[in-house]
Amino acid sequence: MNAIEAVSLSKIYHRSKTQALSDITLTIGRGEIFTLLGRNGAGKTTFLRIAATQLMPTKGRISVLGHDVRDEPLEIRSKIAVVPQEGSTIGPLTPWDHIYLTLIARGLSRNEARQRAEKTIAQLELLEYRNQPADSLSGGLRQRVRVAMAVATDADFIFLDEPTLGLDAVSRRRIWGVLNEIQKEGRSILLTTHYIDEAEILSNNVAIIDRGRLVVSGSPAELLRNVKERVRVDIVGSSFSPEELKSYGRVVKLAERFRVLTDDRRGKELADEAVRRGSDVALARVSLEDLFVDLVGRVEE
Amino acid sequence: MNSAKQFRAAVIIGYMLSITWLRRNLLSLVWLFATPFSLLFIITVTTGGRSFPLGVIGSLLLVLSTVGTGLAGDATWYRLETKLQDFFVASPVNQLGYLLGIAFAGLFFASPALVVLLPLLVYIGLPLFTLPLVLLSLVGVWLFSSAIGYLVSTFTSNLRNGWQSGLLLSVLVGILPPVFYPAEILPRNILIVTYAIPTTNAALLIRDAMGGTPTLPYWSPLTGWILIILSLAIALAVTSRVARWRQP
Repeated sequence: MNAIEAVSLSKIYHRSKTQALSDITLTIGRGEIFTLLGRNGAGKTTFLRIAATQLMPTKGRISVLGHDVRDEPLEIRSKIAVVPQEGSTIGPLTPWDHIYLTLIARGLSRNEARQRAEKTIAQLELLEYRNQPADSLSGGLRQRVRVAMAVATDADFIFLDEPTLGLDAVSRRRIWGVLNEIQKEGRSILLTTHYIDEAEILSNNVAIIDRGRLVVSGSPAELLRNVKERVRVDIVGSSFSPEELKSYGRVVKLAERFRVLTDDRRGKELADEAVRRGSDVALARVSLEDLFVDLVGRVEE
Repeated sequence: MNSAKQFRAAVIIGYMLSITWLRRNLLSLVWLFATPFSLLFIITVTTGGRSFPLGVIGSLLLVLSTVGTGLAGDATWYRLETKLQDFFVASPVNQLGYLLGIAFAGLFFASPALVVLLPLLVYIGLPLFTLPLVLLSLVGVWLFSSAIGYLVSTFTSNLRNGWQSGLLLSVLVGILPPVFYPAEILPRNILIVTYAIPTTNAALLIRDAMGGTPTLPYWSPLTGWILIILSLAIALAVTSRVARWRQP
């Protein structure tokens, strides 16, 4: 049984007459970390909220852990936990209050709630803040508390809607570590993020959504294997004319640097030439971010 | 989760959103004391103390109805700002457990005022043996107001509207009906309309318990009880069918 099976899933927000999802067919395996990528308003949160039984679909079918979201939401809810997007902590409650009390409310015994809360607080490096009022904590710490409320649960499937938004690099890596540990326990994770490096590092599979439509899905390695332009060459400065660069491949201007996307041979030739001309140059494999930009919105070329 | 676990969840949610809050922020109590006790003060001094009992009854009902209707704002905040409602939708806690939880939070917030007002009510003439029935009518008022407040919150698209709806409902349920003043002075047609509001019936039942049985058209203590139960049943039924636990 898969963690999620969506078939021709569509969502229309009637009030704003917005087609948020259009005919999405997608499978997420059990025990996977699956990431939804897309621009703002692409439909990632809508998909997550439908799967988490927070929002009704308009058309199509979607099942979570073998249960239909329309007809069997209670069966799903007993097995999932969510970190909603852009929420806040609750006034003067401490991180301990947030985590421990919500675990008890979900039906855990006091003993189990205590053990899970202590473990998660340690994992997310919240120990020194555990008894401080949440409204005195920084935004990043508060976000870690919200993540802790979901990951501390015994849910089989955890949904995280932009969980690392606004976090520093160290905190993000700490959360990645916790998500990996959850996966090792055999639990499934559905993640949305704007950090493509995060998706590339964490995910078994990703899906790129654009304006409510599924553009592509697969493992990051698979997706990158199928791209035509396998390498990127970043050149700082103006030792090359734009025409010269275009003769090597597709050129993207990123602030003060040019990025040339091309094949292995041409990429190496360009890098060698740039070194000869004394330019700052970096040669690398294309990343998921390059693919993402290519698929959902080319930047200034 | 079975019903017992849902009730346990409700108590925990109530505790989380009130007692833990109050322990660190006692200032939150001020607003709850301010309005009912101000009205009690004004009514007492303007009537030379004659309407003090009505003032106490009104204050008690205003406190309980306000913490309920106030959910129009609070629950909007939990849904839109903290996303606590989303967190609990995607959990074993069901809508009734959540509603009861946030309603308990209001009740716990109100408890210091109740600790003052209930003994005061007994002191000014409520026989102790009638206290259980009076408490039952107060529970009816609290649940009715909470259901209405929560229902409104699930349709509210911004926080400001939530708070304002709560204030409006508080006036409609806790101040305008004959709770601070004798129902007898209302024109007949308006009086009959106020029978639909449980605070009216609770106030009349408390007056009856204190020996001042009101003589009003179409009203008796039995009618009062039936109307409280009926209005509560309707409020709960409408809320459970119409309130947006899962967004459409």
